[in-house]
Amino acid sequence: MDRFKAVFFEEATTLINDLERVSLLLHNNPSDSSIIEQIFRIMHTLKGNSTMFGFYRIGDFTHHFETLYDYIREGKMSVTDNVLNITFASVDHLRVLLADVELENPVHKINHENLIHGLIEVLNGASVEGSIKSHSSDHTIEDKVSDTPTYWLKFVPEKGLVRKGANVLFLLDDLSQLGATYTVSNIERLPDFKKLDPADIYIHWEIYVSGNITENSIRDVFMFVEEDCELEIRKISETNLLDQDSFTAIARDISLSIDEKISKFSGLVNNSSSKNRMEEVRSKIEKANEKSIVTSKDNSISSIRVASEKLDELMSLVSELVTTQARLNLVSDQIASSELISISENIEKITRQLRDNTFSICLIPIENLLVRFQRLVRDLSTQLNKDVVFVSEGTDTELDKNIIENLADPLMHIFRNSLDHGIESGEERVKKGKPAQGKILLKAFYSGNSVIIQIRDDGKGIDPEVIRQKAISKGLITADQNLDRRQIFDLIFLPGFSTAEKVTEVSGRGVGMDVVKRQITEIRGEVEVESVINEGTTINIKLPLTLSIIDGMLVKINATHFVIPLGNVDKCFEAKHEEFVNKINDLIILDGEQVPFIYLRDEFDIKENCPQLHQVVVVKQDDRRVALSVDTIIGEYQAVLKPLGRLYKNVDVISGATILGNGEVALVVDPNRIIKEYIFNQINNEVLQ
Amino acid sequence: MSIENLNVSNSYLSFKLENETFAVTVERVHEILEIPTVTKVPKSPDFMTGVINLRGNVLPVIDTRIKFGLAKTDFTIDSCIIVLSIMMENEQITIGALVDSVQEVLELSSEKILPSPALGSKYKAEFIQGMIKNDEHFIMVLNIDEVFSINELHQMKENTSETII
Repeated sequence: MDRFKAVFFEEATTLINDLERVSLLLHNNPSDSSIIEQIFRIMHTLKGNSTMFGFYRIGDFTHHFETLYDYIREGKMSVTDNVLNITFASVDHLRVLLADVELENPVHKINHENLIHGLIEVLNGASVEGSIKSHSSDHTIEDKVSDTPTYWLKFVPEKGLVRKGANVLFLLDDLSQLGATYTVSNIERLPDFKKLDPADIYIHWEIYVSGNITENSIRDVFMFVEEDCELEIRKISETNLLDQDSFTAIARDISLSIDEKISKFSGLVNNSSSKNRMEEVRSKIEKANEKSIVTSKDNSISSIRVASEKLDELMSLVSELVTTQARLNLVSDQIASSELISISENIEKITRQLRDNTFSICLIPIENLLVRFQRLVRDLSTQLNKDVVFVSEGTDTELDKNIIENLADPLMHIFRNSLDHGIESGEERVKKGKPAQGKILLKAFYSGNSVIIQIRDDGKGIDPEVIRQKAISKGLITADQNLDRRQIFDLIFLPGFSTAEKVTEVSGRGVGMDVVKRQITEIRGEVEVESVINEGTTINIKLPLTLSIIDGMLVKINATHFVIPLGNVDKCFEAKHEEFVNKINDLIILDGEQVPFIYLRDEFDIKENCPQLHQVVVVKQDDRRVALSVDTIIGEYQAVLKPLGRLYKNVDVISGATILGNGEVALVVDPNRIIKEYIFNQINNEVLQ
Repeated sequence: MSIENLNVSNSYLSFKLENETFAVTVERVHEILEIPTVTKVPKSPDFMTGVINLRGNVLPVIDTRIKFGLAKTDFTIDSCIIVLSIMMENEQITIGALVDSVQEVLELSSEKILPSPALGSKYKAEFIQGMIKNDEHFIMVLNIDEVFSINELHQMKENTSETII
């Protein structure tokens, strides 16, 4: 049963997330009936699920909620701000309910009661005669209206349905709430007592229902067991047969097939004038038959839900395969058998495809994050009394799920900053000649081997001079230090720097942009700020597509192997040792161009066995090209990234390690870091001089 | 997980650094390795010898000699790596400790472990959990969480980087 509860929680979480997403759509289009319909459906499903699994509190709560949207759907109420507020509050509360099912926390309990109370009040305020009626009472009234259609349904549950956690009797109960029912049990499949397993179902039912219903509303009752039963539904009459005198006699006669019964029932209908109508009903029945006998097994499955641990496991297996493949390559090269080499090449190709495929499985669109931000913008702008609209572009851009998970926090922080400090109040904006409504744009797009996420607001922007002064006053830089624009903006990310004049509830939670930067660096990303005064601030986040395997170039310095990510590599050259030593300006001429170089042997403090001829890898970072000197370039290499562990967390020029085919460990360098560190040290040296 | 709980087995693995013998509780010892190719990580302090491949995972190796103020380990036929679990900031991590040679596994009741002398020890008091008198020699039982703890490592790291600048 616990397993089913876990499934319930997972589904409920998805439903609540959907609900939040759809509610935000409603916020923008309060009159869109398809959205209202969607909310109603979600609530209905959630209610059904939770009652079925015995979470009556959630069921009860969603019931009120469902009623609200039922009224809206029927036009008895309209979507007001009040309705929206209560909707969002309910979304939050549903999450609380999932975590604290029994409402053990008194605060939650009070909240729960208040919300239900609020919901009932809203419902009472609606222009409906009477207050909320429970579903069953609704229908008993309708039952008295005699002219309701009658449906016949045959419900044959799968033997093991009870084991799956469904209670068949509840279903029959639910059905009786739809209208007047008459149930005939069929026990012909009941086995000999000795063979009977009490946990199996041997009975099936024929049920007659008459009420103000449609085939779909009957089907809804069976929504959760649809796949585990045979369900046949037919409309057998436009009138209520259940009231007819000899109805029960015919209905109970199990020897008759349904078609025979229908013809007998038709004799009951004393509405003699309608031969034509009978015909019509018949043809309708036939049509309905065609549709309803189709079981859900015919619906092809277009996507499946997989536990994320399984994906992680798949990913680690693929990583192992890639490592083993590297070994195979090495061995086949040594043995130099053409047959083996061709097999090894084939396996390499397949491994690569498998790797790419597995990657793409682990990618999820950025869209998954957006609901939170929409919500944040909505809540915060109300709280701060600013009118702000959130726009997103390129939300189908995909990233590794692990990256997405770790991106939420830093992005939230950036959004809070934009809303709190970036975007001005309405009056201030109008004074500046800007539209009163502020705008935050989130834009995501691919750029080479990375994904760029831009968050742009049209607020007051940041003055580089203010940053500079502040950094000086905090002792982060000296007054005579010469920094370019980008370097000044980078100061924001230093620990101990926070532009907020006063700590506010919204963004001043004791964490600054340095935390944002750290969180993004942890997922091998980079972050940059650009800002124009009174036009707004843009934050660029550059992220790798994946965290686990990279294409790299394997190089060697002395005995140590290094991997340079291929995405950074521009060109390779050869150069003599003398070209690197005793240089004043650290520039090398390659291909007729002057390129600044970093002599990695110095940088990494490796002195032994210096060769006469070096090989040079030119790496690109943004628009900068820098040459890195190595001893030898070995070739292209697929590196499975392994963390270096916490002991090495301060070594940031190395982003990880990988195991080579011969079992040695190679270090994966982060060229961007090397360049930055190098520049940083140079600046420091200048300051010291 | 406290150290007291881990000591229930009363078995200790002893090893040598230069002329002195040390011991660690076997509860924390995963295995003993011969020395494979060690990859030195640039820009890391001296006592962090590098990383090795331990069945597909990357294991950091620490030169225990440097931690105890001795000269860097010269690899001999007896040198080996003891793979240990240590607790660091409430998280268990695995490290390799480079030692001159491993000796034996000693079975000792806890009464045999004497408190370490408060004064006169040339090692940091926190490093030593107690002393064992074995024949005519003293064996120092190490508090490995302290010896290899991150605070200590960080401190060393900061010190070394300061000297570089």
